[in-house]
Amino acid sequence: MIDNGLLVQMLLGALLGLSVYLPLAAGQLSLATPAFYAVGGTLAALLSTRWSVLGATAAGGFPVLSLLLELVLGGALAGTLALLVGRLVLRLRGIYLAIATIALVEIVRVAILNLPFTGGAIGIFSIPQPFTDASGYLLTALILLVLTGWICQRLDTMPLGRAMAAIRDDELAAGCMGIDTTRVKLTAFVLSAVVAGTSGALAAHFLNTWNARQGSFDVSITTLAFVILGGSRAWLGPVVGGLLLTALPELLRPVGDVRLVLFGLVIVLGPVLAPRGLVSPELLERLGRWGSPTREQKP
Amino acid sequence: MSTALLEVRDLSCRFGGLMALDGVSFSVASGEIFGLIGPNGAGKTTLFNLVSGLTPPSSGSVIWRGAAITDLPPHRRNRLGLARTFQNLRLFDDLSVLDNLLVALERHSRSSSVDGLLCTARHRQAERQRREAAWQLLEELGLSALADRQAGTLAYGDRRRLEMARALGTDPALLLLDEPAAGLNPAEKEGLCALIQELRQRHRLTVMIIEHHVPLLMRLCDRMAVLDFGVRIALGSPNVVRRDPRVIAAYLGGDASGETP
Repeated sequence: MIDNGLLVQMLLGALLGLSVYLPLAAGQLSLATPAFYAVGGTLAALLSTRWSVLGATAAGGFPVLSLLLELVLGGALAGTLALLVGRLVLRLRGIYLAIATIALVEIVRVAILNLPFTGGAIGIFSIPQPFTDASGYLLTALILLVLTGWICQRLDTMPLGRAMAAIRDDELAAGCMGIDTTRVKLTAFVLSAVVAGTSGALAAHFLNTWNARQGSFDVSITTLAFVILGGSRAWLGPVVGGLLLTALPELLRPVGDVRLVLFGLVIVLGPVLAPRGLVSPELLERLGRWGSPTREQKP
Repeated sequence: MSTALLEVRDLSCRFGGLMALDGVSFSVASGEIFGLIGPNGAGKTTLFNLVSGLTPPSSGSVIWRGAAITDLPPHRRNRLGLARTFQNLRLFDDLSVLDNLLVALERHSRSSSVDGLLCTARHRQAERQRREAAWQLLEELGLSALADRQAGTLAYGDRRRLEMARALGTDPALLLLDEPAAGLNPAEKEGLCALIQELRQRHRLTVMIIEHHVPLLMRLCDRMAVLDFGVRIALGSPNVVRRDPRVIAAYLGGDASGETP
């Protein structure tokens, strides 16, 4: 039932979950992930179909090195956009930030829909393939996920990660303790955008076609559900949430239309039965403090 | 006065129709313990917020070692050497006691985020130094046994001390203490008094302290200012302030013309 294609989608889901998790680890509820995902995907789709220097063949093939370049460029473009937008929107707090980031998602969606070179509602299709089957995508997505997870894990033992946690707890006190809260929040926001942009670039090739609907408000909510179901207190949470919630609609396909009801039920019941997420702090404690720093020993 | 560590000059703060502070001026010399008293709503905490940069003043200026810092954000002021505690305790409740201190000790780091990601020798050394400094502060304030505990689960007195430790972690020259003795029993208050003296010696601090417990403050402070309805009504040594008729009328409860209570 789970083939390589679904696995790639699940890994992309986990990556998007981490993209929502990163700003949240600094207490910022950003729903902008789909905007950056769309920017990365559109860039990759445009470059690989329009720019022959990258080496797309007439048979639809594409060099892996060019794909890697696109992943970097997709992440960089999304990160730059986040840097510019973040300076403005990160002044807002809580629900106001969420609303501003939804606006960003809409602006990017409408822009991609209406720009003369992004293919309108049909989008861009026949995106060249760097791999002959899904296993190549699987490996690439897995490497991206391991890399992102590793960064999140390292953050826990770094000043930046601790500053993010401090801001999540009490932004005002963090400022009084010498933390440049604007800079830390902006860094988390840019990291989130880089993860989403890179994922988008990979997804564009994997899906073979790309259009404005890839980065809609629906995706904001779905990716937020990854974090809520999985848990927002450790990076493993959104990974688990992303994997499960991406797989679920496919696994439920045999039951027909009822699957949407069941999917909705999981999203509703998840927070009721596990309010701190599937990967809760208590679970981490029992797992020998996986995904959080080891217990302190007095030197 | 050029030797002043901190000077507030003609500081006013208006919240809508309420004048929380009205043209308050004084200066704090390096090394002294400076007390701030006044009835509830006199503007003491507002003054701390203006000095630490949380609230912008309506007019007037805050001067640090001779240079105006009125426009600097809180983190920049902290890095200049100005740290504070909060009346309503604002710890990082979800972090461990040790991590609360490590957050404050970040400024000692010479290693970048790239060092941190790659776990370079420079990062490991900076972490080791931070941890040593954190343990030293925990020891000093008697919190070592609680290092692993979540800050939010501590007892009230321990939370108060952790807030002081965290402020000290930023290596301040001036420490602003907002009602550090609130909610402590008399024995704990005595302990706190000794602790503040001791910390001042060891960290070469200047201390500014808001306190409602007047006898404690009279004993602790070199000089003090009295606020009433946002106006500074007295300034000077405890003995001078104690005899000021306006203070007696506004705060100490005697009658304006009468004897010292």
